[in-house]
Amino acid sequence: MKEEKRFIDKLKTYLLYAGPTTFIFFTVIILPFLFGIYLTFTSWDGISNSHNLVGFSNYIEAFKDMKFLSSFGLTLKYVLYTVILTNIIAFLFAYILTSGMKGQNFFRAGFFTPNLIGGIILGFIWQFIFSRLLVYIGNNFNIPIFSSSWLADPVKAFWTLVIVSVWQNSGYMMVIYVAGFMNVPKDLLEAASIDGANAWRRMINIIVPMMIPSITICLFLTLQRGFMVYDVNLALTKGGPFKSTELISMYVYNQAFLSQKYGVGQAQAFVLFLVVALVTVIQVYFSKKMEVEA
Amino acid sequence: MKFKKAISLLMSALVATTLFAGCSKSSENNTPAQTEKKQVKITVLNSKGEIQTQLEEMAKAFMSENQEITVEVIPAPTGQSPFEKVSSLYSSGNAPTLSMLDPGDVVKFKDKVADLSSEKWVNDSFDRSLDAAKVDGKVIGFPFTVEGYGFIYNKEVLDKVYGGNFDASTIKTQNDLEEMFKKIEASGMGSIIVSPMDWSLGGHFLPLSYATQSKSSDEVNKFLEDLKAGKVDLAQNKQFKGLMATLDIMKKHNISKNSPLSGTYENGPEALATKKAAVWFMGNWAWPQIHELDPENNSYAFLPVPISNDANDYGNSEIPVGVTKYFILDKEQNTEEQQAAAKKFLEWIVYSKTGQDYVVNKANIIPAFKNVTVEPQDPLAKSIKNYMSQGKTLQFMVTLPSDHWSKNGASMQKFLDNKIDVNGLAKEIQEYWKSVK
Repeated sequence: MKEEKRFIDKLKTYLLYAGPTTFIFFTVIILPFLFGIYLTFTSWDGISNSHNLVGFSNYIEAFKDMKFLSSFGLTLKYVLYTVILTNIIAFLFAYILTSGMKGQNFFRAGFFTPNLIGGIILGFIWQFIFSRLLVYIGNNFNIPIFSSSWLADPVKAFWTLVIVSVWQNSGYMMVIYVAGFMNVPKDLLEAASIDGANAWRRMINIIVPMMIPSITICLFLTLQRGFMVYDVNLALTKGGPFKSTELISMYVYNQAFLSQKYGVGQAQAFVLFLVVALVTVIQVYFSKKMEVEA
Repeated sequence: MKFKKAISLLMSALVATTLFAGCSKSSENNTPAQTEKKQVKITVLNSKGEIQTQLEEMAKAFMSENQEITVEVIPAPTGQSPFEKVSSLYSSGNAPTLSMLDPGDVVKFKDKVADLSSEKWVNDSFDRSLDAAKVDGKVIGFPFTVEGYGFIYNKEVLDKVYGGNFDASTIKTQNDLEEMFKKIEASGMGSIIVSPMDWSLGGHFLPLSYATQSKSSDEVNKFLEDLKAGKVDLAQNKQFKGLMATLDIMKKHNISKNSPLSGTYENGPEALATKKAAVWFMGNWAWPQIHELDPENNSYAFLPVPISNDANDYGNSEIPVGVTKYFILDKEQNTEEQQAAAKKFLEWIVYSKTGQDYVVNKANIIPAFKNVTVEPQDPLAKSIKNYMSQGKTLQFMVTLPSDHWSKNGASMQKFLDNKIDVNGLAKEIQEYWKSVK
């Protein structure tokens, strides 16, 4: 009896504080998600008033779709490069900007700014840079690599995506790393230098282990952003030239809304969700294990 | 303790009621205005980005003549298919009263749109202009624009090159075309600019090979059915091979051939206006942009895209013309009053002097109605009317599958960039058609 009462009390407190959020979370996240999974088993075209259940055939079609798989492969490649480059650059920036150099606050703000501009606008700015400005410079100063638009070549277009994403995200990750650097206990570093450890030793044996929490967060964010990227992809290359830079989000969207294969697109989106969830959970699990106490 | 409990209960109840109050309020919001002042508000989704301002002005003119109706024109983002926009508006419960759709998408909305068969303008529309908007004998779409495309040429330049008067009807074969390009180049100018957009290459250029298969649209439809069934060998198809040979000629003379895929739509009118090129493959919707950059020159016109070296072949002196945008009228999420107001708006477009003036002269649209006698000012529209009056038109393939332009546009871009040859292209297009359900 007493147990029950306590449960009701707890529920009341919960509803008071978290009720609205839970309600909203269920209606805008959980329900659409479940409905989306339901749609993967139907043949809905996105607009008609009726649809049929078709079992697993959408999933079979999703995996038979060679372009889906190659787009997935391209996305993996993109994620690999952006995650590595973003984190290395952000880490270096953070290291330099916590070393006490002049005007470091100005530089911190400067490197963070790209993150405040939306991906669509960034995409258009860089589209102009790659297809007009660099071509203009390349032609006038005879720099062969810039003499034709990077966006017209499949390989270079892929690298424009990587460059822009790294440029956009490294500022944000830098801020997290800066916080990490500032939280490394000064006494530990001092003790280490008294013991004769040089800068490199201090980095490997003290700073990096103490910064694992920041690294966990940054890796997670870059991984997740990399898999989900759509805006930069849309504004910068639109998947072109000839669909060679169509990353997975864009592919899935086109499948559902352009080709009007809603079921297949939704099934592919669900597969994407599973992969991203799996990758990030594994990453968080392993990097959590590496955390140490000071 | 008891007091605390009461407070917490009260609070949770409060939270719950505000939540639900939020819900009920929004549903009330939909219908207050018209019951009070008889003011009706209709929304019009515009999927022709280039005439957004003209449509807004047109709506204003309509509103000043019809005080009780407010018309709001909302744009669909260019580059996104109107189907995407409209279907997302439907699922969010905000369906526009009138939506401007591509012909191929009209029938998909057949459950949701009003029957327009008894409207006055149905009888005044051009033959076959309602074909794509008919379901089970009912008319569900309002044909808004007639468009056509081909090689846009700058007659001023060509007159100079040909030393006097250039006659477009002398260009009837691929050889004539190449001859013309060479002549232009000999005079020190660039001849043609090929824009690499997928919607242009896949949605307009490639379909020429379907439309030229036969004069009868049944035969063309049968050809597409055969493509779906995998029974057509495109690489051996005369029209397809011929069209790609023409594209080869265009590639050879393309002023941006060093980097054929880097161009954008805007480069086309720019090249024409600055006389870097004299010919551009595009349709009459490009007139506002050309006119803006080259306001003095009204001598632009269309040339057909030849597909062989026999002047008598079908397609060598015809250009594709057809209805490219329809309005549909929603009946599910709009009230009777809104539907009536929308019908009034459509009628106003067709029958009122102001409406006709806005459509023809301001928005540069060729209407699909016989009663409209206003002559278009814009030379490209004139050129199309010319071809129409001579009966030299091809079917504008407007009801192809919704992703046809995108998927095949990518293949065409590969061909334009010399990444694949004509056989590879034929294979990719056949693969696409086999995947269509």
